[in-house]
Amino acid sequence: MENALLVGLSRQMALQREMEVVANNIANIDTNGFKADFSLFQEYLMPGARDGSFRVADSPVSFVRDRGTLIDLNQGPLQRTGNPLDVAINGDGFLVINTPQGERYTRNGSLEINAQGELVTSEGYQVLGDGGPIAFQAQDTGITINPEGTVSVKDGANATIAIIRGQLRVVSFAQPQRLQKEGDSTFSAPADMPAAPSTTSRVVQGALEKSNVRPIIEMSHMIEVSRSYATIANLLQSQGDLHKSALQQLSDVPTS
Amino acid sequence: MLALYTAASGMAAQELAVQVISNNIANLSTTGYKRQRAEFQDLLYDHVRQVGTQSSNQGNILPVGIELGLGVKTVGTPRLMTQGNLSSTSNSLDLAVQGDGFFKILMPDGSFGYTRDGSFNLDATGRVVTANGNVVQPGITIPPTATSITINQQGHVSVTIPGSTTPTVLGQINLTRFINEAGLQAIGDNLLVETPASGPPQDGIPMENGYGNIQQGNLEQSNVDAVVEMTNLITAQRSYEMNSKVITATDQMLQTNNNMHT
Repeated sequence: MENALLVGLSRQMALQREMEVVANNIANIDTNGFKADFSLFQEYLMPGARDGSFRVADSPVSFVRDRGTLIDLNQGPLQRTGNPLDVAINGDGFLVINTPQGERYTRNGSLEINAQGELVTSEGYQVLGDGGPIAFQAQDTGITINPEGTVSVKDGANATIAIIRGQLRVVSFAQPQRLQKEGDSTFSAPADMPAAPSTTSRVVQGALEKSNVRPIIEMSHMIEVSRSYATIANLLQSQGDLHKSALQQLSDVPTS
Repeated sequence: MLALYTAASGMAAQELAVQVISNNIANLSTTGYKRQRAEFQDLLYDHVRQVGTQSSNQGNILPVGIELGLGVKTVGTPRLMTQGNLSSTSNSLDLAVQGDGFFKILMPDGSFGYTRDGSFNLDATGRVVTANGNVVQPGITIPPTATSITINQQGHVSVTIPGSTTPTVLGQINLTRFINEAGLQAIGDNLLVETPASGPPQDGIPMENGYGNIQQGNLEQSNVDAVVEMTNLITAQRSYEMNSKVITATDQMLQTNNNMHT
């Protein structure tokens, strides 16, 4: 008898989670290299009434369960900034960064140089090249990063010579859906999915990849969530009313 | 519901973005000003269902997990050290740096400040000082009788003394570079100071070893681009609005809960 209430409740709980996903997407609408999340739902079947005396098969009750969140790995729009230390990746690649927890991957290419001259992220994590961190010397000027990720500079003493300071490691994954978001614009990969050099990605200097959250989609999603929530509440309400009237009518049975 | 706090973090971030943008626009015509931008990153995630865990005894692996993000944070407001346009003033003590390097300024407390604002003047004793009266390093004193101050691209300051046919070189203005210019700290008055993030200052001679050159009679304008700032302002304002809508929607969901009295 309580199944209708519980089914409705399962939907409401799933909707709350979905709202949290939408809220996080909208909060990160201006985060460089952010990839939006989507919620996936699944029907969870539970056998209903069980009685051998039923003449037809019993019908199972289906609950809603949120099965997972999917990362939308589509390319975000590129914004030109003109800053030589901004890089965007055109394609499915990720930059490799060295964090205290190990190697992590990011699409947020707003880079800086630290006091040691190394190329780092805004959090101060080293950006790794093919031969470890990429370091600049004090007299370097005119940092250029080509589409293959090679970082070259002009030596201050002899501006006609270009010196290569390393090549950015741009990697891709066989199953990018298995990447896990770690916050700080970083992703981690499971141990059994090694990062392979990306051949199709191109590095764009002087541009940033903006968040790929699509505001209209998120807003419509949000309206859908809050309206469905109210609809389920109405359903629960009428189910409750049904119980109430059933109890009242049963208690009205004459006691003769 | 966590969505309330997630959206609140989004509103706080956009508010900060508007503050950074407003400071850029306010300094649209500040000599030597370098624009800043707000950098955001996603906050930590609540991994409700871990991706890649085993979902059955047959070794099936969950292809996706449930990750609930908890919002956004501001990670920094880096200064973009791109070259500003030069505007000609034909004032002999207006200097602009084209390329890398800062003018070094002696502060009243004995420490050094660094600036790209080269609108210099002479003080009562003939020293080259900033608009605030702090001495430009290395100190150069112009004799009171001197006429026609010339500063070449390498920073040599030469003047003509009456009675002499050849110009006298009084000194050379140096420039200072940092390995991480974005790591300098702004202290107002167009001055930046050294921090552990910027690395130690490296003094050098203009036009040598990657130092920029000095342009007399020019000032470096702010590198703020009004169109870019206005676009960013619109984006920030709309994002702020959208986050507030999330709060409204979440509030309505909670209200729905409260209205249920079965």
